[in-house]
Amino acid sequence: MLKATNLRKEFSTVVAVDNVSLDAERGKILGLLGPNGAGKTTTIRMILNIIQPDSGSITFDGKLFTEEMRDLLGYLPEERGLYKKNKLLNTILYFASLKGIDPKEGKRRAYKWLEKFDLLTAYDRKIEELSKGNQQKVQFITSIIHEPDLIILDEPFSGLDPVNQITLKDIMLDLKHAGKAVIFSTHQMDQAEKLCDDICLINKGKVVLEGDLAGVKSGYGKNSIRIEYDGDAKILSSNSAFSASQIYENYAELVLAESAQPHLVLREISQVLNIRKFETTEPSLNSIFLNMVGDKKFSPEVKDGQQ
Amino acid sequence: MKKALAVAKWEYLEKIKSKSFIISLFLTPIIMIGVGIVPSLLMNRPDSESIVIGIIDQTSSFVAPFEKALEARYKLPNGQPNYILNNLAFDANSNLSELKSKADRMVLDKIVEGYLIITPGVLNDSTIDYRSKNAGNIKITSRLERVLKDVVMEKKAVQKGLDPGIVKEITTTLDLNAIKLTKDGKEESGGFEKIFFSSYVFMMMMFFLIITSGQLLVRSMLEEKSNRVIEVLMSSSPANQLMAGKILGLSALGSTQIGFWAIIGVVMSLKFSMTLLPLESAAILLIYFILGYLFYAAIFVAAGAPLTTEQEAQQVTGYLVMILIIPIMLTIIIVQNPDSTLAKVLSYVPFLTASMMAVRIPIQMPSVIEIISTIILLGLSCVAAIWAAGKIFRTTILSYGKRPSLSELWILIKSK
Repeated sequence: MLKATNLRKEFSTVVAVDNVSLDAERGKILGLLGPNGAGKTTTIRMILNIIQPDSGSITFDGKLFTEEMRDLLGYLPEERGLYKKNKLLNTILYFASLKGIDPKEGKRRAYKWLEKFDLLTAYDRKIEELSKGNQQKVQFITSIIHEPDLIILDEPFSGLDPVNQITLKDIMLDLKHAGKAVIFSTHQMDQAEKLCDDICLINKGKVVLEGDLAGVKSGYGKNSIRIEYDGDAKILSSNSAFSASQIYENYAELVLAESAQPHLVLREISQVLNIRKFETTEPSLNSIFLNMVGDKKFSPEVKDGQQ
Repeated sequence: MKKALAVAKWEYLEKIKSKSFIISLFLTPIIMIGVGIVPSLLMNRPDSESIVIGIIDQTSSFVAPFEKALEARYKLPNGQPNYILNNLAFDANSNLSELKSKADRMVLDKIVEGYLIITPGVLNDSTIDYRSKNAGNIKITSRLERVLKDVVMEKKAVQKGLDPGIVKEITTTLDLNAIKLTKDGKEESGGFEKIFFSSYVFMMMMFFLIITSGQLLVRSMLEEKSNRVIEVLMSSSPANQLMAGKILGLSALGSTQIGFWAIIGVVMSLKFSMTLLPLESAAILLIYFILGYLFYAAIFVAAGAPLTTEQEAQQVTGYLVMILIIPIMLTIIIVQNPDSTLAKVLSYVPFLTASMMAVRIPIQMPSVIEIISTIILLGLSCVAAIWAAGKIFRTTILSYGKRPSLSELWILIKSK
């Protein structure tokens, strides 16, 4: 669907995006990951043709961008907001009309979505009278009302309660199964891990990790240990058996040093800590993220030259 | 163009329904009419009761002729005299200061509305005091003044041995009847002030449209910036269509307002039989009107797009409004000599073209060459301004925080 190749964008003195390539396929969710200021939004804006890349190319199904393609794109920006003084249904219809949907069809679809989000009775209310969460739902509707082929969602879950998070997740999966290409930009790794088929991790304007999620994770092997425990975890932080560690109050994710044996480690730490759970596993996406962009406190070893 | 129309429709329909628009639509003419007409109506409203005016006449020869003249000139609707004189010559022996303090008390006790002091030297220094609680009541003072003037004049004439009737006759005021000659030698009499007035109205309408629509433009861009809708809009529509749609929609909104008021104005002016512009002049002026308006609209877009806060917006629109005052002030000079070289030169400055022509055309139609060349120049300036505004809009509408300097804006315009 979307293929961005070697995108580069400079702002006066900063290189915001440097040689970024990504590929969003139909029927898949691509996680666009990265810390704050990594260049995610700039990349998205270039894909949406809001700003022009200094170099590189963007194609949709092999064709260069034309104005008609705007109607095939849906976008939920990270910074939320709508016209406060206008009525809910009118607002949705306006965004639909901007995407070339006539009012009659727009109304039909709007009612369908409002019902799905439990907002049908509020259609004639002003946006400012809605709660923040409900405003977000309206904005989500405006981004998909025209049934776009490529949907870009920037932190779609932030600000939603757990119930609505599930509704949104279901819709995202529906979109995926309906053959849409979805780009899901976030820095919440657990959500990305649950939803994405592919990931593209950007840091400081460069792609540092990309590929399908399972492949990326297996590239790190099963040398991670997750434990749940009670007790003083000091023994974990200064232990030569671990090449990296990430320690919480009663949970820790550890990476074994090359020579260390899991069963020996378990014996050693269980003398000090009351271990409730011990698991050897692939590293979580969160650990990988911290490894790639963090300060190397937690760095799983890389196997087979996989980046 | 489809997207521009969608934007224009939204801007127009949503704002025309807003309470603030409807209120200002009706309230403004009501206020204007109120400010313009109510005071004069109040001034001319006849009194319902006679008003008592005191008089201290030290010459003792004033009261009788004054009373007679006053009575003859101002009557109540029921035929009673509007003003009744109360001669306060309490006592021939009492001195003036005593009389005054007594009379002052009468004023404060509302026995008299006010009182006049006619001093013995009145025919020499032509000064008469009127003491009242309400010295600002122009209606009373101007009426008293008018009648007193006649009385004084009559007395002076008699004193100098002249016939008061002849003096009255030779001192009548003069009406200067200005007659405008048109190109083909025809005469148009009497309407000069009115034509001048209607061209001024025309210009004021244009500036009103510029200011209201300009402010709406700036505010609308600011709103979309602060609620971040702009990003979605920019992904849905090309920047130039978005800008065009905004200008179109908000101009239509401003025109609706002006049009509504113009209808009220035309109805009123027909009622008061004021001269309107001839149709041909109005048609040419309309071209200047539209082009001049678009030129300023582009400037408002360019000035408004880089802004982030309401304060900045107020500041910047404030500056722009001040710039708009310059042509209005210049026209006051131009109107005295609309065919001067200065007027001709200024007509070629795009900022001023429309307002110069608004003043010049009704008074004296400029040559065809001048009209065509100024329209072409203004048209080209419009295209350039809109093009530059589009570039600035496209880039700065997504930037927040620091306002770009003029030189930074210039770099933006020059960039590809």
